[in-house]
Amino acid sequence: MSRALLIQLARLGDLVQSLPVLTALHSANPEQALDLLCPSPLVALGELFPCVERVFPWKGEQWHELATKRMTDCEQLLVQAKQNLSDCDFPMYSLAYNLNNHPRGILAGHVLSDRVVGPGELGPLNQTLPAWAGYLRQVAHDRGSNRVHLADAFCGLCQVFPPSDIPFVKAPVVPLPLELERLVYGESSTVIGIVLGAGDADRRIPLSVWQDLVAACAELIPESYLLLIGGAGEREAALALENRLPATYLNRVVNGCGKTSLPELVSILNRCQWVVGSDTGPLHLGAMCGARAIGWYFSRARVHETGPYGIGHYVWQHQGGQPRESLDGHEAKTAGSSSAYWPVMETVHLMREEQVDSTTNEWDLWTSHRDEWGAFYTRDDEPEETVLRRKDTWKRLSQLGNQDFKVEVSR
Amino acid sequence: MDVLKQNVGILRHQDQVLAAQILQVPGGTLSLQTAKSGMPTALVNSRYLHSAYDPVREAECWAEERMKDCQAGETLVVLGVGLLYHVQALRRVLSHDHVIMVVVPDLSELADCVSVRSLEGWGEQVVWVAGSMTDMVARVTQNAKRVRILSYEPAAEVHHAAYEHFRLQLQDRLSQQLSGALHIMVVGPIYGGSLPVARYVVNALEALGHRVSWVDHSPHYAGYQNLDTIRDQRLRLTVQQRMSETLSVISLAHVAEDPPDLVLALSQAPLTMAVLEQMRRKKVLTAMWFVENFRHLTYWQQMVTGYDFWFVMQQAACLDAFRKAGASQVSYLPLAAEPAIHQPMTLTPRELHEFGADVSFLGAGYRNRRHILPSLVGHGWTFKLWGNEWDTPGALEAVLQRGGARIDTPTSVKIFNATSVNINLHSYTGEGFDPEGDGVNPRTFELASCGAFQVVDARTLLPALFDESMMAVITSPEHLLSTVQTYLHEPARRMAMAESSRKRVLEAHTYVHRMKTLLGAVGMASPDRLGAILQGERHAVSLLARSEKSPELIPILKQFPQTDRVELVDVAKNIRKKGPEGKLNREELLILMMDEYRQEKRDFL
Repeated sequence: MSRALLIQLARLGDLVQSLPVLTALHSANPEQALDLLCPSPLVALGELFPCVERVFPWKGEQWHELATKRMTDCEQLLVQAKQNLSDCDFPMYSLAYNLNNHPRGILAGHVLSDRVVGPGELGPLNQTLPAWAGYLRQVAHDRGSNRVHLADAFCGLCQVFPPSDIPFVKAPVVPLPLELERLVYGESSTVIGIVLGAGDADRRIPLSVWQDLVAACAELIPESYLLLIGGAGEREAALALENRLPATYLNRVVNGCGKTSLPELVSILNRCQWVVGSDTGPLHLGAMCGARAIGWYFSRARVHETGPYGIGHYVWQHQGGQPRESLDGHEAKTAGSSSAYWPVMETVHLMREEQVDSTTNEWDLWTSHRDEWGAFYTRDDEPEETVLRRKDTWKRLSQLGNQDFKVEVSR
Repeated sequence: MDVLKQNVGILRHQDQVLAAQILQVPGGTLSLQTAKSGMPTALVNSRYLHSAYDPVREAECWAEERMKDCQAGETLVVLGVGLLYHVQALRRVLSHDHVIMVVVPDLSELADCVSVRSLEGWGEQVVWVAGSMTDMVARVTQNAKRVRILSYEPAAEVHHAAYEHFRLQLQDRLSQQLSGALHIMVVGPIYGGSLPVARYVVNALEALGHRVSWVDHSPHYAGYQNLDTIRDQRLRLTVQQRMSETLSVISLAHVAEDPPDLVLALSQAPLTMAVLEQMRRKKVLTAMWFVENFRHLTYWQQMVTGYDFWFVMQQAACLDAFRKAGASQVSYLPLAAEPAIHQPMTLTPRELHEFGADVSFLGAGYRNRRHILPSLVGHGWTFKLWGNEWDTPGALEAVLQRGGARIDTPTSVKIFNATSVNINLHSYTGEGFDPEGDGVNPRTFELASCGAFQVVDARTLLPALFDESMMAVITSPEHLLSTVQTYLHEPARRMAMAESSRKRVLEAHTYVHRMKTLLGAVGMASPDRLGAILQGERHAVSLLARSEKSPELIPILKQFPQTDRVELVDVAKNIRKKGPEGKLNREELLILMMDEYRQEKRDFL
């Protein structure tokens, strides 16, 4: 049986956005075993992905450590590099799908397989991009009127159409910390995940805004519990948020920041009805775990490229760049917190299934849908012309694709 | 068979002369006792060289600790004999690829040892190095390329002076064999006396074939000086401190961009402890050449653990002070001259008119100079005083030139050349000569390098650098006037002495000599890192010879000139030259992968 490998060496959000292409590749060729190569800290999540047979860690730290050894000559480095690789026990791959347009992904693809699809498919030193990779780069650069979602563009990159079913990450059976266990397995109630952190500082939402949202949810959504989600880096912010909240709300807030592994996070997100946050990995993971996501997109985040994947998610897209309030950290700005508008109440209304205006103070509301060309977002449920043009994009880019590796192009 | 007889047989097998000598020396250096474990132990001057309880276990611990640093291909040179438990333990823990040499400065000590401790089973696999100092050094350098010195301190201390001498000679000999080129980053000060030294160091290292990156902070001097406009002293000091910290981070950014093998800082270089610690975390070796009087400028005490290597211009008390303060490696390295700058020259009549004098002094107005120099005023010769910090000069006002302006290097060379008798008084904050005066100032070397005659105050370290046939050395201020008078009337003698002093500079006291010594010391202390590179082990030819485990590298390495230093970055660059259509094998791909990670600058700043 032939084996293929999908390479995704980027961060959590990108790995989650790679789930549709894994699903699509598996559907297109169910006989072919499909493995995943991802950063070692994310392996535990990759192992929960359906259709992935084996997950291999990419040990960036180990490579860095080796490459910056100062007492070792080139030959010794090479011997050690070969040893490190052999310790991972990679099988032979007939095909490597590379989703990363950077040298590490490209080189990893060529080290592990003779045939690479995606960036680097014309050779490890050939910088000519495949059509879909060129499209993604152009989108990142020009911010045009594209409507093809990143997760679907990954499918295009791998020469498959978007999956017919929306992928879903099931909750693993894992023991949870007591307070989280009560929430997950306790009485039925509405659990709202609040994604506090963000990898990039400019995507962080001020604590004062979270404070307003938590208070509004506690007041207006009966029987709701607010679950604070984040890594160890968000511990302090979560504690600061808890300190800001009136004591009456505290029994409605569960602080999970820095307390969960990735499988535990998946387990918790499976229990959430809603998950709210900026364009971050946990928000996307929440969407893949069955929660409905409400994203607050600002700075460089664009709903059409990286909105939560699937149906029934919402994104508040800021019309300009950054809102006026500083987004450079969690510090409260007593004077500035009222100077910028955040769609807090509108978000609560959405969770209460109430009517909301699609444009509110520089924020536009977008709703997610899906068709045979993948996920897309509309305002007022009206597909724009650009949404309808996705089919043309698919046809054009598929025709430009590498004919040698073409798996499926017609639909 | 008794132990001595058996041991002599073992030694004879390797060195007949040594074996014969052992039988002839009287012994008695070591006082022998029985340890609690029943094994013999030894004392010298009532100090134990080995444990009084269990010398075997103690030696095993010592050997296991040392073994962690030892790398393949190194020759281990052990200093310290005693009863050789440590050597036996070392031989046991190391593979047979490692050559172990034991330096024996005193045959009597070895004779004591071999009369009670058997060499059987391990002594045959040790190289015994005895004889004159020159012979011992030659024996090591002839047989070993990459040397790691292991000192068993309790026993080495007994012959401290001999071992220090051995170390220096070995270092000197090894530094003559260096062929590899390093990338050295020189970090200079913002201003001050060590700034020109930094320039000379850069020139010398380049002349030796090393790649030098100079982090020159002198362009920031104007900004630093401008901080003097802040009147509040505490505020000004705080801002100056912050500026130094910023310059330190700038130095770190340069290191991050192009990591050197060694960062060499000159005194007053703005490198903070935090930045030095970060460099250590990033595995960059650091050295400081402290060209200051350690008693006058004491900031080194706060920095002493920050640098991997210290080089100082004073000996004994200075070395002790640094070691006590926590310096891991500290060595004596006197100042020097740059003969391309400080050289004899012919002056124009106009220059002779301005700079010429029978007697001159060039330097800042330290207290001792203000006290001593007036004795030279008002005689039948011309006396000129040059330099700054001479406000309220008193009796010296009439001879002070250019209103006490700072004199730059080219002008100083003209002054030295145009003066019959140059006075060189080392700075001191007291009234006479510094009673602790040891280190020799740069002026001594610079005057000599110009072929200019000088009268200099005595320094304890001067005789090892220049002798009295090269300059007039005075031991007290009272001798100054008479010495000047004497030499003013003996131009031929002056010229001959000055000539000899210049010759000595060219032979032994240029910055090129100093940098050779410095790199020799650094290389010997880190044989697996800088030592290996300095010995040429990163040359293409050397890598080729060792590429048996990765034969795929051979065609790549053959593309380089044989004596070029080849690093990962160079190999990667060559692979990339294959261009877009290039087909790469697995090894080439892995090299490119490592090169990608090598370029990562995360966490550096």
